[in-house]
Amino acid sequence: MPGWTTRADKKPMNWLNRQDLKLNAALAALAVVLFALSLMVGPANLSLARVIDALFRGEGISGIIVRDIRLPRTVLALLIGATFGLSGAALQGLLRNPLAEPALFGAPQAAAAAAALVIAFGLAGATSFAVPLAGIAGTMLAIGALLTIAGRRASLTVTMLAGLALASFAGAAIALILNLAPNPYVAMEVAFWLLGSLQDRSSDHLVIAAPFLLASWVILGLSAGAFRALTLGEDAAVSLGVDIDRTRFAVIVGVAFGVGAAVAICGSIGFVGLVAPHLVRRLVGYDPARLMLPAALTGAALLLAADIAVRLLPGVVEIKLGVVTALIGVPFFVAMIFSERRMLEGSPS
Amino acid sequence: MNTQAAPALLRAREVSVRLGGAVVVRGAQAMLHAGELVALVGPNGAGKTTFIRALAGLLPAEGEIMLGERPLGVMGNRERARAVAYLPQGHVFHWPMQAAAVVALGRHPHMDPFSTPSPQDRAAVSRAMQRTATEAFADRRVTTLSGGERARVALARALATEAPVLLADEPTASLDPRHQLVVMELLRRATRDGGAVLAILHDLTLAARFADRVLVMDGGRIVADDVPSEALSPQRVAQIFGVEAMMVDTGEGIALIARHPL
Repeated sequence: MPGWTTRADKKPMNWLNRQDLKLNAALAALAVVLFALSLMVGPANLSLARVIDALFRGEGISGIIVRDIRLPRTVLALLIGATFGLSGAALQGLLRNPLAEPALFGAPQAAAAAAALVIAFGLAGATSFAVPLAGIAGTMLAIGALLTIAGRRASLTVTMLAGLALASFAGAAIALILNLAPNPYVAMEVAFWLLGSLQDRSSDHLVIAAPFLLASWVILGLSAGAFRALTLGEDAAVSLGVDIDRTRFAVIVGVAFGVGAAVAICGSIGFVGLVAPHLVRRLVGYDPARLMLPAALTGAALLLAADIAVRLLPGVVEIKLGVVTALIGVPFFVAMIFSERRMLEGSPS
Repeated sequence: MNTQAAPALLRAREVSVRLGGAVVVRGAQAMLHAGELVALVGPNGAGKTTFIRALAGLLPAEGEIMLGERPLGVMGNRERARAVAYLPQGHVFHWPMQAAAVVALGRHPHMDPFSTPSPQDRAAVSRAMQRTATEAFADRRVTTLSGGERARVALARALATEAPVLLADEPTASLDPRHQLVVMELLRRATRDGGAVLAILHDLTLAARFADRVLVMDGGRIVADDVPSEALSPQRVAQIFGVEAMMVDTGEGIALIARHPL
């Protein structure tokens, strides 16, 4: 038998790939370690034993610290990081473009603008369902507009320019909200929230965000096969039975649910969706379907690590999480452009 | 070849397609019988790609398109994908996946998205790679392959679908002379198991040499549907393509030689 058949036995075509089991297990283990670290690290450092004790018996001050302060924050970092990783992988799969990232297309900015509007003008409290719903609506508008402008062929140039326009528009909308804010305290609060942070998030935040985040995983995960077929281009994918309109709609809704709800809770945190898939893409043979799960796990690990880092950095004021991900993400993005320069210059548009 | 006795795998009658308000295909018709390799030729802008995309169900079209006994319009996406394979122009691969993984994409319409490939899926991929002699670089990333190798992988992907009808849009474009012949012979061989191939070709010499029948398209209409020696007569080539051509009987079929523009 030809050599590839035996390989194919080890590399089945489904997206939950047995070959990738080791990779996924390693990434999951990393996320678990970071999860535990995240419960231990903070102004009061706790040992693992005390964390476990506090988690399950939870008496006294360490119980409050671990269960009420650090656990919601940590679970949110895990869920939101995974959502960003998955959203990035899905957008990249749909657009056949490794540089696609919700933040580059103004998705978090649009979510932030919509959520800020709701908060700044007192339409709803910060822990009401109205905030993630506004974020979702904002993201849906941004991603929907992007895919409409980018069109069938999704050329890199058109997609990037459309994303730039949308991001600028969302930025302007935020500026307008700050400009018109009823009082300076509100403006300040919105501005800080926009920097992105998981500090002081409670289980209320978790409860309103989690359903949307989990829904986005399901919606995006179901399109994995379509992303793989899209490696042949849109026409060939459709000829293979992919419902391209449904796939596009699923990405709009999935990314909107995920990014919209995440941004509504933690403000604007970018570049996880760019970095996470890129780190593992080679390890799954560049297969957009097999990429989904490792990208989600990597995203979770990255955001957990970043959220631990902001607590470890010395200083009176905690550095905002969104600032850290941007400071690391942007140079990474530049390096990616640099290394993929030839592909980008030669890309058909 | 007596094609009339073979069953019709594809029948298109009075097919019209509008693109952005303009009528690009006007009442075109085509028939594909089992075992046939048919060439679709015509000048740039004649509507060939639009017609073939409509036949593949990629564009909404007026008129009647039957795949076997079933109208294209009533078929679901996956059923249609199992009945007609489409090989687009340019052999595009957006991600540097392994050649074997790309060929396996041809099984997409046969597979449940969350299951592992069945033995039939593996066998189909294996056959397609054997037939196109692509097993040697099964593990290579498609982006590292030469143009001819990529064309063979793309064709293997379409063959792995094992649909009775294959529609190929310029499968020989930008290939060296040897690979043009290789691809044409592969298409020829693909019809031997009772399938049918409709290929857009710009090279009239290849069309005359390999096709059982040639459809000539001009201004959105099929203006000729005949054996190559009739469909590509020097008068018609002059009239449709503006090229003075001569036809030579080589003893092993006819050779069409384009001489100069008119």
